[in-house]
Formats: sequence, C-alpha cells, structure tokens
Amino acid sequence: MDKLLRNKKAIIIFMAPAFLLFTFVLFIPICQSVYYSFCEYKGITAPVFIGLDNYKAMLKDKPLGFALKNSLFFLIFSCVTQLLMGLLLAGLLTNIDKGRNTFKNIIYLPCVLSSAALGLLWMFIFSPKLGINQLLQQFGLEGPLWLMDTSGYIILPMWVIAFVALWQYVGQSMMLYMAQISGISKALYEASYIDGCNKSQSFRYITIPLIRPMVATAMSLNAIGSLKFFDLIFNMTEGGPNHRTEVLATHLYQQGFKYFKYGYASAIGVILLVMCLVVTAFINKVVKTENYEM
Amino acid sequence: MKNNVSIVKIIIYIFLVCMAVLYLAPLLWVFNVSFKTNAEIFSAPFAPPIAPTMDNFTFAWTAGKLGIATLNSFIVCFITLALSLVVGSMAAFAIGRLRWKLAKAAMTYFLLGMMIPVHCVLIPLFTRFAKVNLTNNLTGLILPYLTFALPITIFIMTGFFESMPNELIESACIDGATIYQIFFKICLPLAKTGLFVTGLMTFIANWNELLLAMVFISDEAKKTLPVSLSKFVGPYNTNYSQMFAAIIIAIIPTIIVYCAFSNQIVDGLTAGAVKG
Amino acid sequence: MKRKILAAILSVAMTASLLSGCGSSSASSGADSAGSQAAGADTSAGSTASGEGVEEIQWMFWDDLEATEDLISKGYKDVIDRFNKDYEGKYHVTPITTNLEEYYAKLNALVAAGNTPDVFIVSPGPNLTDYVEPGVAAPLDDYLAADGWKDTFTSDAVFSQMTYDGKIYAVPLNTAAACCFYNTEMFAAAGVEVPKTWDEMLSACAKLKEAGYTPISISAGTAWCLSMVAGYLCEAEGVDLAAIADGSDSWTNGKLEKAAEKIVELSQYFQPTAAGDTNDVATANFYNGEAAMLIQGSWAIAQINGSNPDFESKCGVFQFPGVDRIIAKSDSLAMSSTTKHPEACAALMKYFTDDTAQKYTAEVGGKIPVTKVEYDADKAPAQLAYVMDVFKNAKGTFGFYNESMPSTEAGSHFDDTLVSVFLGDMTPADAAQDMEDFYASNCR
Repeated sequence: MDKLLRNKKAIIIFMAPAFLLFTFVLFIPICQSVYYSFCEYKGITAPVFIGLDNYKAMLKDKPLGFALKNSLFFLIFSCVTQLLMGLLLAGLLTNIDKGRNTFKNIIYLPCVLSSAALGLLWMFIFSPKLGINQLLQQFGLEGPLWLMDTSGYIILPMWVIAFVALWQYVGQSMMLYMAQISGISKALYEASYIDGCNKSQSFRYITIPLIRPMVATAMSLNAIGSLKFFDLIFNMTEGGPNHRTEVLATHLYQQGFKYFKYGYASAIGVILLVMCLVVTAFINKVVKTENYEM
Repeated sequence: MKNNVSIVKIIIYIFLVCMAVLYLAPLLWVFNVSFKTNAEIFSAPFAPPIAPTMDNFTFAWTAGKLGIATLNSFIVCFITLALSLVVGSMAAFAIGRLRWKLAKAAMTYFLLGMMIPVHCVLIPLFTRFAKVNLTNNLTGLILPYLTFALPITIFIMTGFFESMPNELIESACIDGATIYQIFFKICLPLAKTGLFVTGLMTFIANWNELLLAMVFISDEAKKTLPVSLSKFVGPYNTNYSQMFAAIIIAIIPTIIVYCAFSNQIVDGLTAGAVKG
Repeated sequence: MKRKILAAILSVAMTASLLSGCGSSSASSGADSAGSQAAGADTSAGSTASGEGVEEIQWMFWDDLEATEDLISKGYKDVIDRFNKDYEGKYHVTPITTNLEEYYAKLNALVAAGNTPDVFIVSPGPNLTDYVEPGVAAPLDDYLAADGWKDTFTSDAVFSQMTYDGKIYAVPLNTAAACCFYNTEMFAAAGVEVPKTWDEMLSACAKLKEAGYTPISISAGTAWCLSMVAGYLCEAEGVDLAAIADGSDSWTNGKLEKAAEKIVELSQYFQPTAAGDTNDVATANFYNGEAAMLIQGSWAIAQINGSNPDFESKCGVFQFPGVDRIIAKSDSLAMSSTTKHPEACAALMKYFTDDTAQKYTAEVGGKIPVTKVEYDADKAPAQLAYVMDVFKNAKGTFGFYNESMPSTEAGSHFDDTLVSVFLGDMTPADAAQDMEDFYASNCR
C-alpha cells in the first residue's frame, strides 16, 4: 500500500491541475503586480520601470489617505462588532428552544445574497427621497444626509456602510460561534452550576475560553473580508462624496480602471496584500493561544 | 426563580423579533416597491402598490437582459463548481492521503491563496487575459473563480480525506484497486458532505461576485447578474422601478434555494468553516 | 492496461479544464462576431443571419439601447436598426453598450487588447485626445470630403473641438448646451423676471424663496451637475484653463476661490436634499413642480417631457446669468484606425447624421442638430427653440469644465472638490489650493 501511496506519477497527476491554475492565475500575477507597482503603466503602452515613484506618489494622494483610514476603520469596526454581536446572538440563540432555527436562518440570510444587490437596496433606503428619511418625516423628524454628511473624524456614511456590512455578515460569525458553543459538553456547564456559577459566569469562564480558537478563525475571516470590501461601497457611494468613503479596494479600482494608472493601482494592490498578510498573522498570534480539550 | 427566567426569555424573544424585523423589512420593502410605477415609488414609498404591475419584472427580464445575465451566472457558477470540486479534491487527496515530502509545503502554498484578495491580481490578470481574448468571455471568469475557490475546497476536502479510516484504503489496496480507483470509487463518494459544503460555498461566492465580472466583461450578452444590475442606472436618468425589480430578480433564486435547504446550507457552511 | 486507460482518462479530464479555456477563447475570437451577432439579433430587430461577405462592424455606446428611457439613446437604436436593414447583406453593425460610468474603462480595455470597436462614441476634449494622440482614432477628412458629406453640417465650426493639427478625428451627432430651465408659473407667481446678472439671479432666488418656492433644484450627489454651475461661475470670473494647465497661471489666483464662494452663496437656495439627490432626482424635482429652476444640459429636455408631458408649456429657458459664452457639448463618433471596414464605418456615421436621424434629434430628442436639416419646429419640444435662442445670443461656447482639463482624473477632481465646498467640508480658499496642488503633482 505504501508503494501505492508513494506513486510519483499519481501525485503529479492529482496535484498538477490545481498547482498549475494556482501558479498561473494567482502566483505569477502577484509577482507581475509587484513588478507593475514599480512601473509607469497606462494600459495602452508597455510598462516602464520608474522605481519607487508610485510609492512616493502615495504620500501625496489624499484619497489614498481616506482609503487607508476607512479600511482600518472597517477592519477594527467589523472585528469588534462582529465579535460582540456574533457572540451575543449565538449566546441568545443557544439559550432558546422555540424558533431557534427560524431566527438563525433569518439572520444568516443576507450572507448568501448578492452584496451588489443589497448595496443598491440600502443606497435607496438611505437616499433622501426614499426610505428612512421619508419614514422619519412621517413622525415629523428630519433625517440626516446618511450618505453625504462629511462632518466628524469618521464620517456618518462610513458608519452607515459599516452598519450595513455588519447587518449582512454578522450571521456568519454567529453561525461559527453557535457551532462551537453547541460543541461544548453539557456536563461542563452542569458542573459549573453545581459549583455555584450563574449563567453569565459560566459564559465568562467556560464558553469564552473554549470558543477562543473559533474567535481567531472568525476574526481572520472578518478581517480579510473587511479589507477586501468592495461591492457594498461601490454600489452605495462609489467612494463619494469627494473620496471620503473610499476604501483601498475602491481606490484601486478607480485608479486602475477609471484613470488607467495600472502601475499606481498595482502599488495599492501590494499595500492591500501586505495588510492582509500582516493582519492575519497578527490575529492568529494574539487571539489563538491554546486549544482546550472539550 | 422560574418567573425570573421567563422574563429573561421574553426579553430575549423581543430582541430577536426586533432583529428579525431589521433583517426582513428591507427585503419586504424592495419587494413592495418593485410592483410600483416610478412616480408611485416617490409619492408613497411605503404604501402597498395601488395597482400592482408585473411590467417592471418583464421589462427588466427581457429588455434589461437579466434573463441572459441569469443564464450566464448559472453557466459560470456551475462550471466553476464542477471543476473546483474535481480539481480541488484531487489536490486534497494528494495532500491528505498520498505520501510525499512536499505535501505540507503544497498545503501552505494553497492556503496563502485564502489571504490574497482578488484585487491584487486584477490588473495583471486583466492585461494578460485581454491579450489572449479571455476578457469578454465567460472562460475568463471561470478560470479566476475556479482558482479562488481552490484554497477553501482543498482545505476542507483535505480534512475529510485525512479523517477517513486507513482500513478502507488498505482493503481496497489488497483487492488490487489502483490509486485512481481508490480516489474516484471509494474516497470521493465518501466525502459527499464535504463536496456539498464546499460546492455551496463556491457557488454562492461566485454567484455574487461583482468586481472581476465588472472588469472583465463588457459585452451585454455575456454579463453576469451582479454586473447587469448597474445598467439600470442610466447616464442621465435612473429607472427606479425596474432597478428594484432587477434587485428582486437577482436575489430571488438565492432566497428560494436558501429557503429550501436553509438547514443544510447553514449547517453545512458552518461545518465547512469550522473545519476551515 | 487498465491503469493506463484510467491515467489517460484522467489526463484528458485534467487537460479538459485547461482546454476549455483555450478552446472557447480561440472559438470566441473567431466566433466573437457570431456570438455577438446573436446578441445583435435581438437588439436590432430587422437583422437576419448574415451570410458570407457581410462586413461586420462594432459600435460602442454608453447607454443600454433596450433599457434606456433616454429619447436620444432610443433614436440611436433606430439608426442602428435602419442601417442594418438598409445594408442587409453588405454591412452589419453590432452595438456594444455599457453604462456611462464604466464606458471609458471598457473602451480602453478593448483598445489595450487590440479589439478597438470600429466606431465608438466619445466626448470631445481630453477624452477624445486620449484616443487621437496614440493613434487609436482615425482622421476622417477623406470620408467627410466624399459625396459632400461635410457640406451637410451647419458650419465647419461644429468640428472645432474635434480637430487636431488640421485633421478632423470625430463627427459630432448633436449639440447640447447647459442652460437654466425655469418654471414660468412660479416665476410669474413670485413676480420674478428672468435674471441677466449674478445679482439679479440672487435676488430672483430670494424672491422665489419668500414666495414659498424652492428656488433651485440641483444635484451634488452626481458631482458633475454641481460642477457645471461652477464652470459657469469660473467663466464669469475669467478662469483661463489653458494657462492654468501649462503653468503660466494658477488656480490660486483668487478666481476659483471667488467662484466657489458664489457656489456657497447660491447654495442657500438649493433644495434641502441637494447634497444627496442624484442627477435624475434633481431633475424630477423640477418637472414635478417642487423647484423653480434647474441648471442642466439641454439633454434634460427629453427627460422632462418624457416624464411629465404637461410640463412643456410652463418650462422656460434662459442663459446662465453673468456670462457671455455657454457650455456646450457634442456627442461625437470616432473611427478606429485599425478597422478592417472603414467604408462600413463611414456609412454608419453618415446614418447618424442623415436627415432622418438629425430630424429625430431635434423633434423628439430635443437636442440641437448638427446638420442643415429642416425640422418641424412645432413638433420639436418648445424648450428646444428657447435653447436655440440662447445659443444664437451667446458669444461663443466652451466645453464642460471637467471635460476641458488635462486628464479625466483632473476633471473628476474638480467636480469632487466643488462638492466638498458645497458640503462645507472645504473652504473656497482650500479648494483653490487643493486644485493647484493636484495640478502641480499630476498635470504639469
């Protein structure tokens, strides 16, 4: 059998398609992207090597500043709120019996829907002539300009978009935590009650430590997801007003495919890639400590 | 004590019902307005439609070419799904079951893919594909979709293959089966759950994918659903009622599938994610 | 033996995945025309399957010909249908459409891939320059000279924005001018005369507001709408774009700052939701009688009359007060320099400027025709005659500001900066400095 499993030809045959695809569609393009980021490349003409100029130009690029700030905001906001809301919902849902599946399914629903469509939908809900502000008007209230207000350090539209993102994706975190919680042995809780713990104490001292590995998984998923964030913003604000809701992905799209600065856009891509790698490594170092026996 | 518990329960239920409303209301609202005329949408966005009309849907479906777009989405998603399962589980089998030195390294190589956002490869892929006529072509979408589906497929499937009992393969081996027979006839059928889960994840992700499709496809007849939605925003005016109908058309298939299999999907996706 | 067969099957299955890529790609390059013909068949009702020897060309446009509500776009669809019917068996054109937002991105993608559409629509200004300079667009003088085509146009002046080194690179299809549309009933009720100067404009707005009307409906959600007004105000201040672009003048000479201050001054008369309203919502406010004035391109006529036919009789037009020239814009067609069928392309372009098409432009679309066509002024929208008057009285035209800058990015930056001023996010002085900084690092 060992011979069978060491069959070199079989290994090559099994691995080749995936390996080739991965190399040609992912690995080589990334290398190219890094190369382009050192080039002046406008699409119609061939790339010309210009060294670090694209990276230097970043320092002067105001929209990129907004994009970085907003991407970091998203990263932090989504990691924190998804963790809290996800845990809260998971905790509540594991504590009720009737309708647990119904609620679970409703909250998970937007995760499977097209965020392009949902982005458009929410754009209309927050537009001044339709949706929320019309509803508020019926109670004599005047709603703010949800997607255009530019006051404050983190402007209102960013909070709105972050809320929509939370709305859409919290189901994912909730499900992950629920799965982990329901895997915890009932005996542990019973023992803790005998020892005089109340529900919140058992949550604090049993549930939380035991779902810690899952927190790391869910958080890395959130973190990468929020850095990649594109569809919702593209359909809700397209980065406006005046780039104030730009994130790295939308800025990259704009520079690359609206103004055809392929070289510069590649440099933004490289920054994005580095951020993704750093953040994932960070989360896995800090959050994932040790696995407890369950 | 008992009383106390039931009050807490009531509060929990009230909270959950509020959440459910928050989740369903926007969807019901868009469903409601999609039956209205443009003028009615602005005059009374919340009232039920006075004279419900299906025109928006028929228009969006035919003239708005959402019909073709839906078909394109199906083609792309199904081909990607099938290929990713075959290619992905083959690699997973090699990593999880076959014995070779570089298996761990190969796994790491594929896992890196999970951390790479598609944006980073967008420009090189686009310029390369444009040169070989793969832009404006559904194949040009399938290749990157397939590639980006591989890491998670390989990861989950490797878990499934690793957890299969050794005896199974041993006995097959004694019966004189080849490694290919073991894979296709024994291991693959046994990993059905894994295939279902990863298949679903791949399908949903690709069904909703916007960026690549937007950049790569310009021919009307080859656009996928998420891209087609934006065409209702015209240069000088937007056709709201048709836009809402289009949103409904885009999300209805997923909602129907979701309602039919919600428990399997939710559990399956979770199982997949837990393993991942 | 068995093993070998299995291995063979496997490798076939494997390569199939790769082949499916190459296979359909090579099929599509050859069959691209066939595939898109199928698509063309449902856009152009009259076309039938074309046989051998038909010259197949592509025409690229920025609006969906089926889903559109825009009357001008509908007119283009008629042109395409007519062309395909009349030239059946000889030429066939297939439209490629995108929405306006993505248009240039898609066009450039096709250019970069060496698949430049044979004929494509383009705005004069930096957009056209982008295609003329690298030689993507072909000079059209020979075609224009043949059969007296050029003589059908109203004057040679219509080509001025499309001429580079004495050669014409694009054919205009129609002209639109940015004007002030106003609700005559509201003006009468508030006792307001058509304003001629900036001060009169402000006092007219004040009176309208006193009378309980919203004086101006505008969109800052769609940035170029606001920047159109800014363009007029800059013109009034005497901003010299060419001098600023080559560095002999600067944005910080105080002129832009003044223009931006005027925007802020005017903004007290905008509808309260101006910041979030999109272009079409702002236009709808006007034709639904919720605001007294709308500053828009004359393409809005088709939209206004299309959505609210009763409004035509109470819609007046005047020139933006305080300026001598008006902002004008032509949709133009350029021809690929690499097209294999230049004759077919020229024939198609002629169809866009023939009498039927130009008559439609005026009578239905409400845009100013570019040829000497005689149209029925009674059939044309009432507003068109007013716009023509404005046009005649103006001392000249200038392009949209965002399309008159060195790059499209500079144009968008101008739009965005003025939106920021309007939102109170930036002071007029900061805005001028910001534009100057942008030009310094990107344009000179």
